[in-house]
Amino acid sequence: MVLSRRDFLKQSIGSSALVSASASLPCFLARTAAAVPSQVPRDDTILVVVQLAGGNDGLNTVVPFRDDLYAKNRPTLCLSGEKLHKIDGDFGFHPQLKAFYKLYQEGLLAVLQGVGYPNPNQDHPHAMRVWQSSHIKPDASQTGWLGRAADQIYHPPSARVPAVYVGQIPKPFTMRAERAIVPWVRSLDQYGLKGSVGEIRSAASDDSDQGRPSSRHEAAGSPPPPDTLLQFVQRVAVAAQATSQQVEAAAKASRGEYPRLQFAQTLRTIAQLIRADLGIRIFYAELGGEEPGGFDTHAGQALNHGALLEQLSESVAALANDLKQDKLLDRVILMTFSEFGRTVAENGRRGTDHGSAQPLFVMGGKVRGGLIGKHPPLDDLEGNGQRAHTDFRRVYATLLDDWLKIDSRSVLGEKFRRVDFLRT
Amino acid sequence: MPLDTEKTDPAWAWAAYQPDAQRPWDLRLAGHLYRRAGFGASWPQLQQALREGPAKTVERLLRPTEDVAALNRLHDEFEGAMDPESESTDTLRAWWLRRMMETPHPLLEKMTLFWHNHLAIPRNRAVHGLSVAKHLQLVRSHALGKHDQLLDAAVHDSAMLVALGGKVNRKAQPSLDFARAFLEELTVGPGHYSESDVQGVARAFTGLMVVRHRFRFVEREHDDGPKKILGRQGPWNGHDAVKIALAQPSTARRVVAKLYRWLISETEPPSDTLLAPLVEAFANDYDISGLVGTMLRSNLFYSQAAYRQRIKSPVEFAVGIVRAMETLVSAEPLGHELAEMGQDLCHPPTLKGWAGGTCWLTDATWIRRNNLAWAMLSGAEPYAGKLDPWAVARKHGFGTLVKAGRFLADLFLQGDLSAASREPWERAIAQVEAAKGNPSTTVRTLAHLAATLPEFQLA
Repeated sequence: MVLSRRDFLKQSIGSSALVSASASLPCFLARTAAAVPSQVPRDDTILVVVQLAGGNDGLNTVVPFRDDLYAKNRPTLCLSGEKLHKIDGDFGFHPQLKAFYKLYQEGLLAVLQGVGYPNPNQDHPHAMRVWQSSHIKPDASQTGWLGRAADQIYHPPSARVPAVYVGQIPKPFTMRAERAIVPWVRSLDQYGLKGSVGEIRSAASDDSDQGRPSSRHEAAGSPPPPDTLLQFVQRVAVAAQATSQQVEAAAKASRGEYPRLQFAQTLRTIAQLIRADLGIRIFYAELGGEEPGGFDTHAGQALNHGALLEQLSESVAALANDLKQDKLLDRVILMTFSEFGRTVAENGRRGTDHGSAQPLFVMGGKVRGGLIGKHPPLDDLEGNGQRAHTDFRRVYATLLDDWLKIDSRSVLGEKFRRVDFLRT
Repeated sequence: MPLDTEKTDPAWAWAAYQPDAQRPWDLRLAGHLYRRAGFGASWPQLQQALREGPAKTVERLLRPTEDVAALNRLHDEFEGAMDPESESTDTLRAWWLRRMMETPHPLLEKMTLFWHNHLAIPRNRAVHGLSVAKHLQLVRSHALGKHDQLLDAAVHDSAMLVALGGKVNRKAQPSLDFARAFLEELTVGPGHYSESDVQGVARAFTGLMVVRHRFRFVEREHDDGPKKILGRQGPWNGHDAVKIALAQPSTARRVVAKLYRWLISETEPPSDTLLAPLVEAFANDYDISGLVGTMLRSNLFYSQAAYRQRIKSPVEFAVGIVRAMETLVSAEPLGHELAEMGQDLCHPPTLKGWAGGTCWLTDATWIRRNNLAWAMLSGAEPYAGKLDPWAVARKHGFGTLVKAGRFLADLFLQGDLSAASREPWERAIAQVEAAKGNPSTTVRTLAHLAATLPEFQLA
């Protein structure tokens, strides 16, 4: 079988977008890349995890407006029924979650209610570490659950990274992996190759296929030999140049409209990286900033909380619309979480304190939209917050096994029952 | 070239290399030695090595005649002035990088890095910055000394105890985490110990405490009853546990194999037969400097089985460029940049250290390498023109653009370019000849091209 140079590149880098970029690739490198065996076909579902730092008040996010106990516990923060975006006769989204309500109506958004773990920790860094490591006792955890997932996807020698963190605060622990070096992307400018190396190399191109190292093996019909170390590095150099060009092209082609909000811009960057088709399977983003985080609303909660929810929902909806345009939404699932929910009762300062269970949002083309799981009753509390009935690791396990197709046991250390929020 | 380590004769492999007509001592091998035993060579160092031959150069690398102690004392003082309350090691990281760039004893820093990777202190538990600084100084002081002294000192010290979960080792509640890490990562390794050994080691280490960031031995918390560790029964304490674990052949084999990967090749795992003579010697004398010397002098080290059979870590890549340019750069931004490439000094990702090898390079880290080399060599901030390849070339008598280009190929790659790289390189030199711009800028472009050729990523 004789393959064209384009086919070789496509196989060795595993990217379709590269085909268009390969014309300008330096041929001397393209030839060495041609000697490289093709990689296994990519399984290209994508997970975006969004951290809401501070402890989101789930009770004022998805509101049980008919529950008398709700009004009783929230003398000033109570959101009345008429302002809410009503899901049914009992529940409604916060007034500033208009965009989420629309996604919900379209069947793209699921609300997983009552998620947490027994005896929840109520200290910010500790609780965040629990969610980021997936270990209830996280002291000994050296890696994050998404870092471990990245390591499961990553098979060195590989020229591609399986996971990326996009954000403005330092890379969170959850992306810490044993092997994979997860990039921290603040801006797509980082993908630009500086210097004039590209020009010199491109000028050194030729049109012939002379010296193609793999020709002998092709003739014999046997697979090419494994990479030498030098061949691997050459392959990475080609991939890097292709990556740089693909990101530039994807950024230019970007048509999606995003609100002028920091978090929306983060999601826009993620959409561009998805479009650049770099083989990234896991993205991590954050809203709320560094510890203790913007969702930590101990006093004067209403305004801040509303603004954050609006930023969250408008930005996620913009991402959904953007991805829909290229039929990418079926490949992407976004999940939000916070380190804990908040107390059911408000605290006398028009705020709430650290609680326990919370609702998670899951959005995507393959999500089974709707309210999933019961709203935890307001008369059976744990740590003054709502009592969790769904272990958060069941949600992780579902995303790992059924979405990313990674054995969840290898990431979480044990098996968890799945939660039914994916369409089959 | 891959090596069949089963078939390699250990006697030949570890005998000292004697240059002859077939395997002459040349620039390539001198560069190879300096990359492994240090962070790459400057032009004068390459020339000196060529004149003096391998034996004398290895000796110079092991025991330099310059005043190393003075530099290290000065740096220790700088590090001692760190904020005693902070967990941040950003300053420490910068000082260490500075030491790597500046030291007349690069092999010592290379071996400190080796042990930093082996005795890794992951930072998932809160370790104080000053404790990490002390730990590094301790590791450095034994890095070319004796393995038994190094390990004994490292586990009786605050940073390792805290990082490995052994901050509090009470008689009533021995720390199993610490004991397991000691057996699993620091000594015998997986498959060479049982759960009852973990119990025994944990009891031996009772009484070891870290109080206000300082190591303390609290006699009344030590369990002095009999315990069994790796088949030996006795009233063991922490020092005994170290001795017993070190006496196991698997411990010596593990360190020798790791050092083989560090100094010789990461492409082919060595066979037991090949390592046997080194393991036997090391299990006897714990002499790190002896082991390193044997490897650096060996036939195997100067063979194709070792040549360019490692990928440079980000630190090796960056410090190598700086040392070749005979200068120093601002170490704080460099430390940040290297962390983004996956090598955050003083912050190894896990107890296993950095995975290294092909894990260092992906499209993303390649772009960062390219851009770091450009930032340093283009004369831009934050490195502010400290590197000036044109000035270095002229200083050594390469006063035309074309000569400077050939000089850079020799300095960075000892002239050893693959066919795939030679083509663009020669094209670039030809372009340089025709160039009319500022020669300093032109040479910067060439230097950047040399530093981003695939060959330059290999150690």
